[in-house]
Amino acid sequence: MAVVTAPTDADWRSRIHPVLPWLGGIAVLSLLPLVTRTAYDQYLLNIIAINVLLAVGLNIVKGFAGQVTVGHVAVMAIGAYASAVFSVHLGLPFWLALPAAMAVCAAVGLLVGIPALRLEGAYLALATLGLAESVRIVISGTDWLGAAMGFEGIPPPQIGGFVMETHLRYFFVVMPIAVMGIYISFAILRSDMGRAFKAIREDQLAAAASGVHVAKFKLIAFVLSALYAGCAGSLKAHMAPGYLNPNDYSLQEMVTLLLMVIFGGIGHIWGAVIGAIAVTIINDLTQDYYTYRMAIFGGVIVLTVMYMPRGIGGMVEDWLVRRRFAALRAATKARQATP
Amino acid sequence: MAIGKWALLAAPLLALAAIPAQAQAQEGVIRIGVTLRMVVENGLKYGQMVKDEFDAVNAAGGINGRKIEVQLLDDECKPDKGVSNVNRFIHQTQVDLIIGSTCSSVSMPMVDIVTKEAIPMIIPQSTNQDLTKKGSPWVFRVPVSERFYAAVHAKWLAENVGKKVAYLVTTDTAGIGFAKQYQVYMKKAYNVDPVIEVQAQETDLDFRAALLKIKSMNPDVLAIGGQADAIARVSQQSFEVGIPSRVRRVAASAASNAPVPELGGDAVKGLIYAAAFNCNDERPEAQAFVKMTQTRYNVRCPDHDFSQAYDTVQIVKQALKAASLKLNAGSHAADRLAIRDALAGIKDFRGLASGPINFCAEPTPQCRDGNRTGILVEYTKGGKDYETRVLARVSFEADFGL
Repeated sequence: MAVVTAPTDADWRSRIHPVLPWLGGIAVLSLLPLVTRTAYDQYLLNIIAINVLLAVGLNIVKGFAGQVTVGHVAVMAIGAYASAVFSVHLGLPFWLALPAAMAVCAAVGLLVGIPALRLEGAYLALATLGLAESVRIVISGTDWLGAAMGFEGIPPPQIGGFVMETHLRYFFVVMPIAVMGIYISFAILRSDMGRAFKAIREDQLAAAASGVHVAKFKLIAFVLSALYAGCAGSLKAHMAPGYLNPNDYSLQEMVTLLLMVIFGGIGHIWGAVIGAIAVTIINDLTQDYYTYRMAIFGGVIVLTVMYMPRGIGGMVEDWLVRRRFAALRAATKARQATP
Repeated sequence: MAIGKWALLAAPLLALAAIPAQAQAQEGVIRIGVTLRMVVENGLKYGQMVKDEFDAVNAAGGINGRKIEVQLLDDECKPDKGVSNVNRFIHQTQVDLIIGSTCSSVSMPMVDIVTKEAIPMIIPQSTNQDLTKKGSPWVFRVPVSERFYAAVHAKWLAENVGKKVAYLVTTDTAGIGFAKQYQVYMKKAYNVDPVIEVQAQETDLDFRAALLKIKSMNPDVLAIGGQADAIARVSQQSFEVGIPSRVRRVAASAASNAPVPELGGDAVKGLIYAAAFNCNDERPEAQAFVKMTQTRYNVRCPDHDFSQAYDTVQIVKQALKAASLKLNAGSHAADRLAIRDALAGIKDFRGLASGPINFCAEPTPQCRDGNRTGILVEYTKGGKDYETRVLARVSFEADFGL
């Protein structure tokens, strides 16, 4: 006689396609504009979504693979300008300019990744710093990119006659892409590739000894990260008022981006997301206190590094581990107490 | 330690909760958003002065009995910040008028936004000529456009010094605009090309290599495009590499900023620049302004950005007085239109500027570049106690340089 058992939690979860919860997430987030007070809040949501993409992308190369880079904002600039050039000079619609700009950034990521094969730590940081500054300088001196005066007239995305030029409409472009970016990042982390990245981060020699092709996976990490930066750059370029300027891609922006990832917790995807949201909101709320704003930012970095070096993500992980141990200890105690 | 960590996490959240939500639009109040570059000491003082001037208006009972509420934000000379500030002014604070910005690269995207959202904007300091060429009916400019500035010094130098000009320009909007306009004027008026043009970075500290190259070309004039610190350094280093004093140094209008003579010392003696104000101006209103800045802001000799910020406030006050405002929940569009039309009605405003300021209704540079008179100023002494003198004053037709 067959024994019928009640379905367990695991059975129930395994029957749901992994993409479904994310689609649910997009559906829930689509309601967000309903609770915003003004169009400015919607503008801020769009900036948050772009920053989330940037931070999650940086987390791949820095958090997963443990490679130091300070050139992420420069790759974003390349993505933004590439998308602008494809749209304005070549007449491509946003939906083609976006993947084309990402492809350009992937190539750049590959180039940036090459020094990473021979350099580590501070030396790699210096190499990527060189990229960051040189990109800004080249743009500043290139007339057909608008030079120091900026690149104007980048059109917003449109579907048929429906132009996504308002902050509200643009939210429905950036938000799903940001959620998709988070999902892909989780998929990478859970894949063999993600495990290879983590092995490289922990110990390159040990990873190589275990059969991980260190050079290949380092390059892949840089390319994936650059794809995210390119996507964020393109989204930024096409957002109203469709204007780019090299001054917006300086080291100051890179430090802010690093703060997002450090504050959120290096290596934690949700940490990067929370970091991007928190830093963008803090940045906005401190605008009125312009005299002290940079001091507040500096203070947050110092306090984070001193008291929670693993960021919010690390704190949550510690808490979960402690909770799991406490539950195990309680269960063991209960078993021992049972005669 | 665990509690400490949680406290740290909670701190920003508590901070967010502690910051009061943006004040809701209050009826009967004129709201003005001001965005300037305030990352430098001078910028902070310009911003503070603008705020103080409007506070003084409120203390005296307001304009037509209406109080003025000012939101002052720093854009750090970064276009992204300027865009963010303007979005905030328009959608959150719901301002009736925007004043900004200092840097042309910031004002550029702001023009597009205010045009789309139909908000009047008055530019206190940006000089790039494209700002008014965009043809926005909502934009007015107080400072002298670079299309006039270039001709002020270009004509004087060509007639009094020579036509062989070497350019050393940093890659910032003001520097590039200055060099471009100077070159265009020389080509058009005298059919002369640059002897040499060298570009440097805004962050560069050592210009000696470029200056040695320039020295070898034996120019009549060394044109320096850039911000104040670059102008000071180039001036100093040009003497260090042996470019003789007979080669006249001319710089972008940022040369009027106090750090130039203070950093450059004796090297700035003889340096000339076009500006809209000189603190040695003997008019009583100019001397009263100089005294006010000395007393309130500890500025010995206010530069033309200071005077332009002051003039902007006075023009705004005059326009607000003339505008018929309802200032209730449903009158935003009408109030903004009334302020715009009142600004367009400003005629022959005589403030601190080098010439009268005139606006009119047409959304053209002829109508919206308010000041068409530039003065040519020379440093006669460098250092903390620097001195200047006015070499020339030139007025232009409205369509000059278009």
